[in-house]
This record gives sequence, structure tokens and C-alpha cells, in this order.
Amino acid sequence: MCLLALCAAGLSLLISCQHARGGAVRFRKVIVLGVDGLDPDLLTNFMAEGRMPNFARLAAQGSFRRLTTSIPPQSPVAWSNLITGMNSGGHGIFDFIHRDPKNFQLYFSTSRVEGPKHNFHLGSWVIPLGSGSAEQLRHGKAFWEILDEHSVPNYVYRIPANFPPITAKGKTLSGMGTPDLRGTYGTFTFYTDDPTASLGEVEGGETVLVEVKNNRVVTNLIGPDNTFRKNSPPSAEPFTVDVDPLEPVARIAVQEQQFVLKEGEWSGWVSVEFQLMPLIGSVKGICRFYLKQTHPRFQLYVSPINIDPRNPALPISTPSNYSSDLAKQIGEFYTQGIAEDTKALTAGVLDDKEYLEQTHSVLAEHRRAFDVEFPKFHDGVFFFYFSSLDLNAHMLWRLTDPQSPAYDAALAARYRSSLEEFYEQIDQVLGEVMPKIDDNTTLLVLSDHGFAPYRRSFNLNTWLLNNGYIAVKEGAGGDASEPFANLDWSRTRAYGLGLNGLYLNMRGREHEGIVEPGPQADALLREIREKLLEVRDPKDGSRVITRIDLASEVYQGPYARTGPDALVGYNRGYRAGWKTILGAFPAEVLEDNTNPWSGDHCIDFTKVPGVLLSNRRIEAQAPALTDIAPTILSEFGIAKTKDMMGQSVFQSR
Amino acid sequence: MAVARHGAASAAFKLFLLTSPLAIVVVLSLGVGSLMVVLFGYTSDQKAIAITKDQVKAHLLAVRLYRDQIPVVMGSYGKVLRGTGRYLKLTFKPLLYVIILITLLMVQVDRYLGAAPLLPNLPFLLTVHLPGQTSDALNEVTLVLPPEIAMTAPPVHILAENAIVWRLVGSKEGSYEVKIAAAGQSAAKAVRVGNDLTRISTVRLRGPFWERMFSSAEPALPENFPVESVSINYPNRDIEIAGHGMNWIWPFFILSMVAGFIFMKISGIRI
Repeated sequence: MCLLALCAAGLSLLISCQHARGGAVRFRKVIVLGVDGLDPDLLTNFMAEGRMPNFARLAAQGSFRRLTTSIPPQSPVAWSNLITGMNSGGHGIFDFIHRDPKNFQLYFSTSRVEGPKHNFHLGSWVIPLGSGSAEQLRHGKAFWEILDEHSVPNYVYRIPANFPPITAKGKTLSGMGTPDLRGTYGTFTFYTDDPTASLGEVEGGETVLVEVKNNRVVTNLIGPDNTFRKNSPPSAEPFTVDVDPLEPVARIAVQEQQFVLKEGEWSGWVSVEFQLMPLIGSVKGICRFYLKQTHPRFQLYVSPINIDPRNPALPISTPSNYSSDLAKQIGEFYTQGIAEDTKALTAGVLDDKEYLEQTHSVLAEHRRAFDVEFPKFHDGVFFFYFSSLDLNAHMLWRLTDPQSPAYDAALAARYRSSLEEFYEQIDQVLGEVMPKIDDNTTLLVLSDHGFAPYRRSFNLNTWLLNNGYIAVKEGAGGDASEPFANLDWSRTRAYGLGLNGLYLNMRGREHEGIVEPGPQADALLREIREKLLEVRDPKDGSRVITRIDLASEVYQGPYARTGPDALVGYNRGYRAGWKTILGAFPAEVLEDNTNPWSGDHCIDFTKVPGVLLSNRRIEAQAPALTDIAPTILSEFGIAKTKDMMGQSVFQSR
Repeated sequence: MAVARHGAASAAFKLFLLTSPLAIVVVLSLGVGSLMVVLFGYTSDQKAIAITKDQVKAHLLAVRLYRDQIPVVMGSYGKVLRGTGRYLKLTFKPLLYVIILITLLMVQVDRYLGAAPLLPNLPFLLTVHLPGQTSDALNEVTLVLPPEIAMTAPPVHILAENAIVWRLVGSKEGSYEVKIAAAGQSAAKAVRVGNDLTRISTVRLRGPFWERMFSSAEPALPENFPVESVSINYPNRDIEIAGHGMNWIWPFFILSMVAGFIFMKISGIRI
């Protein structure tokens, strides 16, 4: 009788718990390892070579599929597809960069940070009347918001396109899209006394000329724009470097901290507080120093000033103190969305060895966070993101590709296996997860896209100019520092922007639009599509573009018509050129890509699928990123929302 | 059984006191706050202070009551000012005793709570300053390290400060001495590696006691030793309160004031 009563009580408790979760299944675990840029072909090869035993075991025991990526296959778009279960028409993210069609101002697609709307001017000071704001521009419900509604615990580490992090009950840390303290995707500073160095701003950085006087360098760390001052000049905090007269070593003093670095050494994280207004306004950041050389020339690299996770100047986590708690456990860490300093390698400020040291330290931080958080996971959803394979495939592809214009045999001999080593580290992480898998656990290991070589650049705007779709003002050249500065919009019918975007100069949408929406626009798009698909590389006759997707055909949802009108899908080996993506017009339509950024995925989406592995049998033969959110929800018995396009990959279709 | 439990609890509490900087600050603040009041009471003329404070209060009351009679108000203000002056005179000596005692106490407490020992395997800097502008002498200064402490970078000679900076690392917990040799002489600097609550001297200086007493907990460097100071950048010790780290002086200041105020009410001592 007693036993019966006990069973009844237990059952009622179970039912009440079930009810408390709004009907969601309890005690289920879903682990998602999101590995940006994990390429199915490389993975298959490495598994066959025995370099990734844990992936091989998972593929053998469960399932391994190619995962259809987003259109276009860019990370902010792809991860937004995964997060919301919708495509760009639903979540409104089409590229890294969007434009305001009314004034052609470019902005980061995923977030907007603005200062206070009203200010009071007092001499050279500006007193804000209110606070600024950080706004996330991705639309649609994230899968963890729905999990929260059903009281399913969840943890989401650095998922892209989640800055500032949306309100959540669980712990989340923002990832790709999180700016540095200067509000950029990451701006390094390089200090040198070499007068022959090219000074000033480069993409993603700045070179500052310093004077070594009595073996001492006194200069400034450059911080965020000081909005408390008229015209918002950049804030600065002085620091001193004392170089030993003979030995390759220096002492660096920043505010109250000092440390010694040998040539070729990295510092740990150094805190710096930028005073914006005495007693009232200051922001804290963190940065790392790398002493590249002391003699005969002084060369010092300082990383982008990251938002200090212990005192974040902008929201980067939920709850807001989570970033600080994590920092207490693992030490300070990169908070900027793209932590790997690819720009410093591209600018020649860091060489391959130095870049690899930096990027290994980024992965080490992620692994420390993983080692702290994963053991705490017992119930619900655990999502953990790794960026290393993506950024390093971008930068290291040339070392394994003799056809790359950036191929260097000596460098290749030295660093050929570097990318494989990063793959092996991800395999090690999977090796930590596998023993924790039980019957109640679903493991998903996935990537947002694969990879391809990037050997040749196609300058879409130059092609449009040469083919009469773009007109420049009389007497002006096509190229200018401002995007589209010299265009004659009254005679321009189409333009390229971003990595895959082709836009029509549409009447009623663009400020000086001339193309009528409807049949005229459709005909123009068909005409351009046919011509672009015919483009051949004069070098070897290869097709440059293998598909063009029309927005009207591939996007569904309320934002379907706010992005590009067509998406240019490049062949493997090709990509949009560096300048054309920001609205410039290089002289040549096709040119070699000699940049260390030698691998890419912003091409024809069918040529760069991602991967999906699971410990369970995947029924879907062609799963897509939009299936992942419904899959996660389905594991807890939660129905997908009506906006979600996909369905659980474990359901037969 | 109960006695054993009580003994264990008592031992645990003692251990907590010994190892928790926050507990030490709380206990110390309460004790010091009360002691300040007692010391003030013993060293002051309580009767005169009471009369003076009562008179000042009476004159302040007169200002409020006779605010429409300007001569009375002005006269009362004058008496308030005189009374305040007399009060300051009466409290000067006892406050001086309290301040001297508190300052000496705080200097000693800061040796324990102001800085934390160096952590094993984490680098720290040892800086030697030479007097005047004797940059040639910089090259003659050397270090003799115990086996548990290693040099991880060549020393940096900083001519602008007449200083040399060494980056060192301690391999295991313990108290060590680093010998600084110069001009045929040597002197030692204490180094503490560990994670415990211990007395730490961040700098060793030359000169008379009163010049060193606030900053150094070590004997003076030899008079004719050609080194002015030897310092180590020990990390600051933060007291954690509600997730926020702060120097011990802030909770000490607030808690000792609160304790002093309460004890003043209990004891009837007038301040």
C-alpha cells in the first residue's frame, strides 16, 4: 500500500514537473558542437587518415551527412538560419554588410550600437542626456528563446549573430558580431620607429610611428571614440616601453601594471581604463602585447582593445554578470566576435608563426571555457561554438594549395599541417564529449558551411561598369574612397555590395532608383544573370560564376525584399574581390588573390556544404541549417514555430 | 559529543578567521571601532566636551527660536563658532592619540591584507633602483637566486629611472631570499611565494626608520650599499564583498565607523 502511494506521489511529481515545462520532455540532453567552417571533404580525408578518431567513431556509430548551407553561405547568414530555422527572408541577415538604400551608408548587418540621442554641449564637452543603445538586427525567435518558454535549461556559448545577446534565462555569451571597444570588428595597433613603414590605417589595424628616445618609447593606446568630447576624438591612454640597450627585452608599463617581454613573446591580458570624462565616464578594456622586435627597429603589436569581460562596456552575456564569472574561472578572454587576428597577418604585422601563436591562444581560451562549462551540463541544451577551423582555413588554405597565387613553398613546408592540427584539436574536444553520451543524449556536431580555395577575385562592380549597368559621373573615375561616391545613380541600373549581393537600383527603394519593380526589374535580373553565368576566366577558360539565385525565388518571409535582389554564386576558386564588396571599382574584372586570406566559402552554396554528425540516425538525406532549430526543439517534444522552414533531421521525410 | 562538536566548530571558526581576509577585516573593524571610542573616552575631558556640545546645541536652538531678532541670532552664531572652536580644541589631543594608534595599526594590517603572495609559476618583477644618476653602476648589479626562483628573461636596464627590472618566477610555495650584489656587497630581499595570508614586504629601502616605516617591513639596506630600493610587484589583495573586489581599507573604514558609533551609544562616551 505504502509502495503504491509512493509510486503515485512520484508519478504526480513527474507530471507536475512536465507541466511546469509546458509539456516539454524532461531529463533529455542535447549537445550541439557548432564548428564554424568544418569542411566535409577535409573531415572525410582526415578521418580516413586516422587523424580524427573521435569523428570517425561518431560517423561510424551514428550518422554523417553533408548539411545544406545558407544562401549566401556566409557565417552571419548561416548561423541566423540555424538559430531561427528561417532563411534570410525571415531573419533579415543577408551578408556581413548591409546598406541603407536611401543614403548608401554601410553598417554591420547583425547589430547597431548608437550613442545617446540627445546631448548637451558645454564648451568642448558633450554631456549625454540619456544612455546609448546596442541593438540586435537579427529578427525571428532564437531556438533558446523557445526552450526558455518551455523551461528547458540551455547554455549558448558564442553563437554568431547574437550581439547584443537577446534576453535569455540561461547563460549565453555573444560571439561573431561582437565589436571591440572601438566599435569595429577588431582594430590592432602596430607601433614602430621604422620611418619606412607604411603608416596610418590599414584594413583592421593602424600603424603608429614612435620615437625611441633614451631607450624609452612613450606613446598611447588608442581607445574608443570619446563621445563626451566635441567631434568625438579617439580616447587614448599613455603607456611606456623601456627597451634594454643591449638585450632583446623590454619593460612595458600601462597605468599601474608593468611586465617584461622578450622579443617574440606575448603578454597576458592587460587591463586598461580609458578616461572619457573625469570622475564621470570611463570604459574598461583588455588587450595583449606582442614584442616583435627591439633592435635595430622597435616593433610592438597591440591586439584590438577587447571589451573587458569583468566590466563589460556593452552587453555581451546573459545574465549580465556571466562574462565576469567566466573570467574569474578561466581568466580574461577575447570578447570580440572574430578573435583570430587575420588582419594583422594580411597586413604583414604578424607573420605566419606569430599569427599561429595568436590563433592557438584563442582556441586555448575556448577550450578552457569548454572544460569549465561542459562538466556543469546535466540537463537541457548545451551549445558550444568553435571559430578556429573557419578563420584558419581562410588564412592557411594557401599552404596546402600550390595553385594559390599566395602559395609559398618554404612556408608550406613549415606550416602545411597547421590546419590539420586545428582539426585534431576539435577532434579532441569531441573526445571529451563522447564518454558523456548516454541514451538520453542527442549529440549534434555541425558546421555552417565548408570551404573552397580562393585563388581569383571577381570584381562584380567593375564588370557591371564595363557592361553598362553602372554609370559614373562625367569626368570621375570609378574608384573612390567612399562606396559608390562617383556613381551617376540616374543612369545606374544595378550594383554589387557585400560578398554575394547584387542589387537593382530600384525605384521607391533606392534614393535615386530608376528600375521599375515588377516586369522591368525581373527582365533586368534575368539579363544580368545570363551574362554573368557566361563569364569565363581568360586565364584558363573556367566558369567564374556557377549560379545566381534570385531573392524572389529563394527567400520567404517579411524581410525577403529588403536585401539583395540576387545572390551571386561563384565557382570554387573564385570569390568577390576585396574592393568590390565595399562598392569600389578596381581596374580589372578578374585578378589573382595574393592575400593570405586564401580559402573561402562565400560562393555557390551547393559547393560548400557544411557537416552534420550525430550519435543518432539522421533520416533526412539532405538536411539543411534551417532543420537544426526544429531538430533541437523536437528532442524536447516542442513543436517548431510556424515560421520555421525545416523539420527534425531525425524524422523521415 | 556536544563538547567535541563545539570544539570542532570552534576550531573551524578559528581557521576561518585565520584564512579569510574578510573575516579578519570584520573582526578587526569591530574591535578597532570600539577601541577608538574607549581611547577617546580615556584621553578626553568628557565633562568639558559634554558641556561644550550642549552649549553649542543651545545656541543653535536660539538661532531657530529667535530668527526674527537679528542681534540675538548673530550673537548665537558667534557663540556657536566659539563653542565649535572650543570643541575642536578639546578633541584635538584625544583624536591625535586615536589617529596615531590607528595609523600604526593600519600600516601593520596592510602588510597582511594589502598584498597577496606571488603565485607559483606566474612571473613577477623585481626592480632595483640605484640612487642619483649612476647609470654605469647599473651594469654591476647582479642577482643571486635560490633554486626555487628562476629568471625568465634578461634584465631590463632602464636608464631613465636608473633601475634594473628582472622577470622572475617562483616554482613552489615558500619564503625565499633573493640576494642583490653590487660593488662587492650584497643584500637580501624577502620573496614570498604561496597562497596564504602572510606578512608581505613589497619593498626594501635605505634610510632611517621613520622614512621606511610606512612602506617597508624589512630592515634597512646597508648604509653604504649602492642600491636605493628593491621592490617586488606583489599582486594587490582584494576583499570580495557581494562579488566585488576591493581594498580592505574600504570595508574597514565603514565597519569601524559603524562599530564606533554603536559602542559610543552603549558606553555613553561623548565624542
